[in-house]
Amino acid sequence: MTAVAVPARHAGRRTGTGVAEFFRYLARKLASAVLSFLVLLVVGFVIFSVMPSDPLEALTRGRPTSAAQLAFLRQQLGLNQPPVERFWSFAWNTLQGHLGYSWQFQAPVSSLIAQRLWPTLLLTGSAMIVSAIAGLWLGIRSGWRPGSLLDRTATGVSLTFWSVPTFWLGLILLVLFSVGFGPVPALFPAGGMSTAGTAGGLAPQHILDVLRHLVLPGLTLSLVIFAQYVTIMRSSVIDELGSPYLLTARAKGLRDADIRRRHVVPNALLPSVTVIFLQLGGLVTGAITVETVYSWPGLGYLTYQALQIPDLPLLEGTFVVFSGSVIVMNMLADIVYRYLDPRVRRQ
Amino acid sequence: MGESLLSVKDLDVEYGDVPAVRGVSLTLEPGQVLGIAGESGSGKTTVGLSLLRLLPRSASVGGEILFRGENVSEMSWGRLRAARWAGASVVFQGAMSALNPVRTIGDQIVEPIVLHERVPRAAARARAAELLESVGVPASRRSSYPHELSGGQRQRVMIAMALACKPDLVIADEPTTALDVIVQAQILALLADLVRSSRIGMIMISHDLSVLGAVCDRLAVMYEGQIVEERPAAELLAAPRHPYTKKLCAAFPRIGDQSSRLAPDRARPDAPPVLEARGVRVTFPARYGHGAARAVDDVSLEVAPGEILALIGESGCGKSTLCRSLVGLVKPGAGEIRYDGAPLKFTPRALKRHRRRVQLVLQDPAGSLNPRQTVFDAVAEGPRLHGLRDGLTQRVRDALSRAGLRPPERFLGRYPHELSGGQQQRVLIAGALALDPAVLVADEPVSSLDASVRGEILRLILDLRAQLSLAAVIVSHDLGLAWNIADRVAVMYLGRVVETGPVEDVLLRPRHPYTRSLVSVLEAPGERVPLSGEPPDPASIPAGCRFHPRCPRLAALAASDPAAAGAAGCAVRDVPVLLPLAAHLTACHLAEVS
Amino acid sequence: MKAFLSRRGGVAGLAVLLAMAVLALAAPLFIHPSDLSVVDATGAALAPPTPHYPLGTDQPGRSVLLLVIWGARPSLAIGVIATACTVAIGAVIGLLAGHFGGAASRVLMAVTDWFIALPQLPLAISLAAVLGQGDASITIAIAVTSWSTTARIVRAQTLAVEARPFVERAHALGAGHRQVMLRQVLPNVAPIILVSSTLTVAGAILSETTLQFLGLGNPTDVSWGAMLNQAVNQGAVTRGAWWYLLPPGVAILIVVLGFTLTGRAVEDVLNPRLGTR
Repeated sequence: MTAVAVPARHAGRRTGTGVAEFFRYLARKLASAVLSFLVLLVVGFVIFSVMPSDPLEALTRGRPTSAAQLAFLRQQLGLNQPPVERFWSFAWNTLQGHLGYSWQFQAPVSSLIAQRLWPTLLLTGSAMIVSAIAGLWLGIRSGWRPGSLLDRTATGVSLTFWSVPTFWLGLILLVLFSVGFGPVPALFPAGGMSTAGTAGGLAPQHILDVLRHLVLPGLTLSLVIFAQYVTIMRSSVIDELGSPYLLTARAKGLRDADIRRRHVVPNALLPSVTVIFLQLGGLVTGAITVETVYSWPGLGYLTYQALQIPDLPLLEGTFVVFSGSVIVMNMLADIVYRYLDPRVRRQ
Repeated sequence: MGESLLSVKDLDVEYGDVPAVRGVSLTLEPGQVLGIAGESGSGKTTVGLSLLRLLPRSASVGGEILFRGENVSEMSWGRLRAARWAGASVVFQGAMSALNPVRTIGDQIVEPIVLHERVPRAAARARAAELLESVGVPASRRSSYPHELSGGQRQRVMIAMALACKPDLVIADEPTTALDVIVQAQILALLADLVRSSRIGMIMISHDLSVLGAVCDRLAVMYEGQIVEERPAAELLAAPRHPYTKKLCAAFPRIGDQSSRLAPDRARPDAPPVLEARGVRVTFPARYGHGAARAVDDVSLEVAPGEILALIGESGCGKSTLCRSLVGLVKPGAGEIRYDGAPLKFTPRALKRHRRRVQLVLQDPAGSLNPRQTVFDAVAEGPRLHGLRDGLTQRVRDALSRAGLRPPERFLGRYPHELSGGQQQRVLIAGALALDPAVLVADEPVSSLDASVRGEILRLILDLRAQLSLAAVIVSHDLGLAWNIADRVAVMYLGRVVETGPVEDVLLRPRHPYTRSLVSVLEAPGERVPLSGEPPDPASIPAGCRFHPRCPRLAALAASDPAAAGAAGCAVRDVPVLLPLAAHLTACHLAEVS
Repeated sequence: MKAFLSRRGGVAGLAVLLAMAVLALAAPLFIHPSDLSVVDATGAALAPPTPHYPLGTDQPGRSVLLLVIWGARPSLAIGVIATACTVAIGAVIGLLAGHFGGAASRVLMAVTDWFIALPQLPLAISLAAVLGQGDASITIAIAVTSWSTTARIVRAQTLAVEARPFVERAHALGAGHRQVMLRQVLPNVAPIILVSSTLTVAGAILSETTLQFLGLGNPTDVSWGAMLNQAVNQGAVTRGAWWYLLPPGVAILIVVLGFTLTGRAVEDVLNPRLGTR
């Protein structure tokens, strides 16, 4: 990861016009993120309010509801109004953070989401950091000598992990390390984020307890996205191998390790960073299934719980939050990328 | 062995079982420039790379390479790494890809200095700045990235980098390929100067004999992995002995040499022009960071039946855009294209009719053929599009055999990758002939072909003119091509024709200073009229005569007689637009002065 | 063809896929509906493997082996149908956006990018939940969420092909949009579409099993994802019933790996980028 710093160091040397240009770039990216979010709202509206032939029926599926309740709901959801007006009030409510009222928990969706945000961030964040470091390192090593023993092993392992359904991997690890199987004792807790009845807050015992609960879900998620990172980084390194500037570097008398560190890695990281950020959606997908398997009290588990009813307002809320956060992350990635690649920076 | 800088004995290189280099022996003394000539696949680059053991692992090398008396193939890795760059450095072709795109050029020059000389970074940076200045790149550009420099500047950076550790030997592999002729001349002058002033030995590898002739003391010609002829450069170029060398020399004609003038000198036909451009302007809209580009800016041209017109200019002068508007692929913003005197309307029907009569042949024959179509389909494409389905097979056969692919049956079922470059170009010409056109517009028809094939294709174009009375507009950067086959020539600079007339008049007695520079590049080094500066940008065309900022004639006049230079008005008044007449015309305020 | 045969991974992948396909197609010949019925099951509840039940039984006492074989049918069918829809939508949009520049193409690509960046699963879950449980809604959910990758690849390839001189030659010979797209561009884009669809099937099967696992499938159907869902609900995890958990997952792994290996081998053959170095 140190190699990222090489091109980034020159970023400070920008001229006055460069700064203005940077703000124009920023504005463009911001505008496109806002537009993406608007489209997201439209899609969410279409799915949850237009597609169900009668949203009330979808909302109350399987529950006896009196005519008075129905009328009240109709009024509350604004179903008497034309769709365009309903959309604007939906959009306005969403922007203000009013995501509706969960049927299942009898609580505002936004407060439910707020409670569950931190566990998901902890899980996805730690999995991403661990797998990015390990995956990029292994990808560089195996791409550098394609066909070597290390490369074939790494490719085989990552292909296998890529092909494994995340939830199944979780189940197997659960049986192995939590229930215990054969000689393997039950090492880690089966689910949840902390042992019931322990003190919360920042007490050391609590932190250790959370970490112990984090090991299995974190490992499952890491293994799957790690496989993706290895594959991406490996192929970008291989793409760079034929480049003439590497011949220049060899002719200069550089050692192989220096060629790799100073020339290959900075170039190969650029496409990888893009793809890694494009695959943030995959991280979300992984989070939903992993949290379901381990009952990790995050947004993914919340989605699963909503799905069982189905609790449409809650589902809609998690959909908007998941997708919206990916839009924001992608915008950040674009901005980071501009620092990394001088070719984009000065365009 | 004496104290030769480099001595190669019986070098053999094989890739797997395929021999690339066979029994090559060379010697080089300090301060000497040895040229290695040959076309693609001749093994010349392999020889260059083997000198520093830079070949890929799959290559097996035999023979002996002594560098400063030391056997390169027996050096330890550490010793070899020390010899690389500090002992012998390389100027690679295509500096855009040979420089690391995400590191500044300063960093890349500093890298070998720090590595080999173990000096502090600050000292290395100061040295890099000096080096950049010495090759004519402002030191302030050291924090630029490669893509921010022009092609010529990047190649200069490559040269500065090669000199960074004061090597004894520089291997220059196609150092000027893909650069415009005039920039090419600048870079070669720079290289020659550096070698002579610092007694470096240099090996220059190129397919271009005129490049090698300009700087080399000795020349070795390679063919299929072997050296077929090696002699002092001037001697070899004046009287090549080996048949292959002769073919190669013919591809780089000397202007004025009547034996390389393939087109018979003939009077201009009286017939009215078949294809004309009148006051054509093409402007490309502004894009990120670039203003609107006036690619073609008021140009008139014409070509009569059976006449060959050469349109010559550097890249970016608008010649390719003009040739696309002649075929109706680009719609002129103003002016018109006329066929048989009638203006071309840009409606689908009129365009389709036009495209049957005026055919385009493109630069890159391999890319111009759809890899998934057989030769038959490629040639039949045009007739099919125009609904000529009766006797299609016969039509395709006739076209192939007229294009010199005989017997046609042998080629019908083949795919493009099974053909040589020359055969591919013949298929494309056959595809054009299949529609019985009146005019052939060819964009650089031979520039991507090997030198030995070039003559065959040129003769084919001349034969077709003689047999079918086909008119042709040949677009090229190469004045030698105009000298080879054209009747008339038009020289373009920055979207405008600056000089036009019969080939012999224009090329033997050029009046415009720009034409004069272009012609001089093909002459002996002493006669060159150097041109400073970079090729211009069509998005920012200078006021007045668009050539005046680079004009050597104006510069000379301003030095001797500033008043006259000011009175000439080069910087203020635009030059007249040339009309397509048979006469020799020049768009220059100072043409009569000299 | 010969180049493909020299890639062992690809050959193994294809062989596994063919075997799976044959097994899935022939399943009705040796599996009787009563074998799959919860009511008619004869085995012990959640029992480990015995000679009669080589992979043990589930909670109602059905043979896990027969369930896994039968489960290949919906999994493969949904994967293939969803891929066909995905590739059809993606190829048409990619081709149109690549060939015709301009505002319409930019809008198409913006929509494509939007779908690429968005997390697939929440969208697919929401769609399937609204459409109701069942195979059809899972198929639609997968097709709607995954066409964008194909569209992007096809567009990039179309642009690359259109930039090559033979397309300009076709224009110069008098070809119109339709002729250029069908005769020049499509034959050169088709191999990429083939590769992309092989890899898309792999992704579609993974998505399908995930959606089934989350309970979006038809509850009475037997499929790999649904089996794992039931296994969890029937307490297979806490009781360490590995014979119930392992087989469906291994089956998914093998099929997905088979498609991935085949796709990669085809890609390698069509686009050999590993040089000699």
